[in-house]
Amino acid sequence: MAEWNAYYQNEEEEEEQEEGEESAGDSRSRGRDSLVFLVDAAAEMFIKGEDGELSNFDMTMQCVRSVYTSKIISSDQDLIALVFYGTEKSKNPRDSFKNVYIYHDLDSPGARRVHDLDGLRGEEGARLAAETMGSGSTSLGDALWCCSNLYSDIKLRLSHKRLMIFTCRDSPHDGDGVRDRAARTKAADLRETGVVIDLMHLKKPGGFDVGLFFCDIVTPPDDESELGLHLEPCGKLDDLQKRVRAKEMKKRTLSRLTLSLGDGMKMAVGVYMLAKTATRPSAVRLYRETNEPIRTKSHMYHTETGSLLLPSDTKRAQVYGRKQIVMEKDEVDEIKKFDDPGLVLIGFKPMSRLKLHHHIRPAVFIYPEEEQVSGSSCVFVALLRRCTERKVFAVCRYIARRNTPPRFLALVPQIEELDPSRAQVTPPGFHGIFLPYADDIRVLDVPECPTASGEQVDKMKQIVQKLRFQYRSDSFENPVLQQHFRNLEALALDLLQPEAIEDFTQPKVEMIDRRLGPLVQEFKDLVYPADYNPEAKAAVKRKPAESGGGADKKPRVEVSEDELRAHVEKGTLGKLTVPVLKDACKQFGVRTTGTRKQELIDAVVAHLSR
Amino acid sequence: MDWNGDKFRHTALVLCMDVGFSMSNSAPGQEPFFEQAKKILQKFVQRQVFAESKDELALVLFGTDNTDNRLADGGQYQYVTVHRHLMLPDFELLEEIQNSVHPCEQQADWLDALVVCMDLLQNETMGKKYDRLNVALLTDLNFPVSADQLDIIIGNLKRAGITLQFFLPFPAEQEECGQGGGAGDGNTPRPPRGKGLTKEQQNGLEMVRQVMASLDEEDGLEEIYTFRSAVKLSVFKRTEKRPMAWPCQLTIGSSLPIRIVGYKAVTEEKVKKTWTMVDAQTHRKEDVKRDTVFCLQDDNETEIEKDDIVQGFRYGSDIVPFSKVDQEQMKYKCDGKAFAVLGFARQSLIRRHQFMGTQAIKVFAAKDDEHAGVALSALIRALDSLDMVAVVRYVYDRRCNPQVGAAFPCVKEKYECLIYVQLPYMEDLRQFQFGSLENNKKFAPTEEQLAAVDSLIDTMMLVEESEGGVMEDLFKVNNIPNPQFQRLFQCLHHRGVNPGSPLPPVDAWLKKALERPEAVAARCQAALAKAKKLFPLKEVERKREQKTSADIFGIILPLSCRLKNTLHPFQYPHFIMCGGSSLAGNTLAYEPEDPGSNPLSRTLNPVYLQGGLSLSLLIVSRSG
Repeated sequence: MAEWNAYYQNEEEEEEQEEGEESAGDSRSRGRDSLVFLVDAAAEMFIKGEDGELSNFDMTMQCVRSVYTSKIISSDQDLIALVFYGTEKSKNPRDSFKNVYIYHDLDSPGARRVHDLDGLRGEEGARLAAETMGSGSTSLGDALWCCSNLYSDIKLRLSHKRLMIFTCRDSPHDGDGVRDRAARTKAADLRETGVVIDLMHLKKPGGFDVGLFFCDIVTPPDDESELGLHLEPCGKLDDLQKRVRAKEMKKRTLSRLTLSLGDGMKMAVGVYMLAKTATRPSAVRLYRETNEPIRTKSHMYHTETGSLLLPSDTKRAQVYGRKQIVMEKDEVDEIKKFDDPGLVLIGFKPMSRLKLHHHIRPAVFIYPEEEQVSGSSCVFVALLRRCTERKVFAVCRYIARRNTPPRFLALVPQIEELDPSRAQVTPPGFHGIFLPYADDIRVLDVPECPTASGEQVDKMKQIVQKLRFQYRSDSFENPVLQQHFRNLEALALDLLQPEAIEDFTQPKVEMIDRRLGPLVQEFKDLVYPADYNPEAKAAVKRKPAESGGGADKKPRVEVSEDELRAHVEKGTLGKLTVPVLKDACKQFGVRTTGTRKQELIDAVVAHLSR
Repeated sequence: MDWNGDKFRHTALVLCMDVGFSMSNSAPGQEPFFEQAKKILQKFVQRQVFAESKDELALVLFGTDNTDNRLADGGQYQYVTVHRHLMLPDFELLEEIQNSVHPCEQQADWLDALVVCMDLLQNETMGKKYDRLNVALLTDLNFPVSADQLDIIIGNLKRAGITLQFFLPFPAEQEECGQGGGAGDGNTPRPPRGKGLTKEQQNGLEMVRQVMASLDEEDGLEEIYTFRSAVKLSVFKRTEKRPMAWPCQLTIGSSLPIRIVGYKAVTEEKVKKTWTMVDAQTHRKEDVKRDTVFCLQDDNETEIEKDDIVQGFRYGSDIVPFSKVDQEQMKYKCDGKAFAVLGFARQSLIRRHQFMGTQAIKVFAAKDDEHAGVALSALIRALDSLDMVAVVRYVYDRRCNPQVGAAFPCVKEKYECLIYVQLPYMEDLRQFQFGSLENNKKFAPTEEQLAAVDSLIDTMMLVEESEGGVMEDLFKVNNIPNPQFQRLFQCLHHRGVNPGSPLPPVDAWLKKALERPEAVAARCQAALAKAKKLFPLKEVERKREQKTSADIFGIILPLSCRLKNTLHPFQYPHFIMCGGSSLAGNTLAYEPEDPGSNPLSRTLNPVYLQGGLSLSLLIVSRSG
């Protein structure tokens, strides 16, 4: 058991380690994304639909809220602002713009903002909005100007600027040419500075005609039909309302390396990870009284003199048998160094030589870095194309970082795949599959098994056919993470209980049973004898132990001190079991800090050599 | 010596090495046989020590100037020395081999030595239980041996269940081509064969073959190795871990269980021991103590008691206190072990590069359950013939997180099983967008360049068909020992035996094992030179070191791509992914028997389409 568990523990440690490596190029250096919601607050927005349908304003708040909560989890560094226009009251710096109300300044969202939005929803929300902002005259030009100030007031580097206008009025100034023109000019200015302006047109009786005015405001879409008359509200709203709870990862290289083909021929490539186990974001330590974050400081000191130790005052050691082997920290690192980081081509093999079960780690992805070595992309394309056509993969030695021992990768070519709308589904490049060393392959005693008959196989084929589905790698959410995010949300937003998750990893037993119908029994009749009970059999095994009652515990073997001494002499202490060693420690009154075998052995040896 | 994954535990092994006069000989241009044999010995013992093997070792030398063994009496069993009795290998043994095993002036009968070893084994294993008793003989056979006693010796070996291995400076068979053990990489110079052998050696070899064949008719001869192949085999293959069985039930729906057992078949082996920090002067770890204090982030750095700390998580700009107790109580609960089929999918939909986790598990039917065997076999063969996989929920046990993975059918000549590999969750996937390469004229290779790549592939092919039509792999990564372990053990050994001297360079054989095979390197030279000429590669002088990929991909992205992305409203790829995932229930709507009649699958597609579109656009915008 221990062995399997060890894996789960290790996993987390390693994740952290690798995460650290990847975030070397911090996202902040690339700037943050920003988003401004510019929402119409005219009276029309508050009109409820017939049969109790949500008002446009209510619906908008719902969208904004879901974006807030999604952003908080996916990329909490991004900045969001909420601005109303067409209000009666004004709230903006120096109040230089009338009828513009900045509800949320451009900043990263938190729980309070989500609460604010909740306050603006429903009947209560409409009332609150009327009280605080009211509805007044409209100048979209002023509103846009105000927004552009929001962007310019931000001192951080912004990587992406976006502005979304939510409105149900296709002619906000009712044909006032001056105001229309002012809005067009401001919009053009904003677009000039790299802001993408988007329109979320809402439901309007008689349809929303984008062509009337907004076509000159928004950044031109690639689909011309978006500019015409729309009877239904913008389809993108659906997407906005969908909730997402997954950390968004920015595209970053794990490392940039040279791939040498031999004879000094070197190209540059970037190494990426396209799939990596997502883990729960790490916890923060807080002071119980004030909930403020805590810093940890750690230092080393000499146990006897109490003086602080610098890293250079220490060495590293391992004990084998009774021998301690000591090395400098530098030497410990040096041992792991075989060569400089990089990829070295060894040769090629037909794809059929890549074994399915030779899997030890998620793959990496390799893409050329023209910016480092010009001409890389051309070699890369040529290799990619010929490897694909000839159905071969490249074997490479891979040293990821300094002082990292080499691993071998199978570079499997992957050509670009586009969906019908010509969007990239799979990028072009090589997938680097990690190949196992001899040590990574375990020798199994293969049990002898009977083979099924044709009839039995055919019956199973029917079962398989009944339960076919289209597998998609993004169809399964991690229930553990999803639960964690919902819990956190519930605590942050003071919800009574977290939203329920749907666990897609659970088999839909009823559906399966229904689909299979009599096939299950038919198959069982073919393979299992009438009296066979697969469940019972496993239980039988345990019985004898239970019947013996608790008293039946294995009698402990006590080992005399002399015997122990003999073991120490011969170095055979390791042959004793952990319970025996523990007893021995107890017997001597030796206190042990750990329960690991080596620690127990060390304790016994230390005691007897005294 | 058990070099390759032994199934036995607790072996008692006698290493029996010839140190006699003739061992100082060597083939032209090679190390003396003595040195080669000693190296094998060292490597083997090194492996045993660092792997903390429970196998016990004894060392018997023959051809020594003195005689020291129980049987030596009246001029019999002369020049045979029991150097070390049966016990766990330790550093002292390594030191002894290093410092006190020297070539000697005598010659001794290797059959005598064998008898001493047998006696030692029988005497010192009495009353104890071992899975295996083994004698490994390293000798050049250069001693006139009489065959009189051979039958008796064979009989005794058989009776005592002692197995034998021979390590010789030359191959045992003409045809053998020096690959005893199977690790020959096919391009090393062959050791000298039969020709150069003395009469004694030819005679000895005949007897060795006779002994080995009579001990094990089928495989006996495979236990005769050459020194050369043995040095390469001397991998510190860690066989300590016995594959742990994971019994479970494979379930399809509520009423079709199959009893199975899973074993980790492939997983990354890690270094077992970690380094402890010790004081540089005293070398005592007790002298170093690490202390961690917690403090507020105020000007005074006020210290905080450990008990006054609670755990919290960031929620946007806020930090939400979320104690470990609450977390434990509210977290996703697993209902225990599972290997439950969610559905079956085409193998082509499972992409090799999307394998997750760190292991591949082989799943067999439960031991001694014939019916489970038949049921599982039916499943394996059904999947195999349909080219499909089972998508399963896998839970190791109650405390572990559930996984979704694929169980592939694997039908071999000798056995069949399912191979389970973990698949990604939606959260694990990163939908990065990369510039198109194929459609970019700037990077399009010419026909000549393509031809050059073709000849690179031709000349660098690592798999070739040998005369017999058998495919020979010149570079099997799964035969290379993990260099990290080899190097670590080499350095530990060195430091242990020679404290104070600097670490040695990486072993030559290890370095070579990580390089392109010589034959291939020689063969591809012309093609490589041609390619180098045809593809101009120039390092770009970089003004700013820290360029981000965004800067770079902005340039590589084709215009059409960049245009598109700026138009799209959403910055949130995950909305769309969520769209996909919230439909996961539907995805699991099984396909109808006759295509086109499943209402679920049809309603599904438009959504995915839209999702896919907006999703990919979004990400372009991130990097563009």
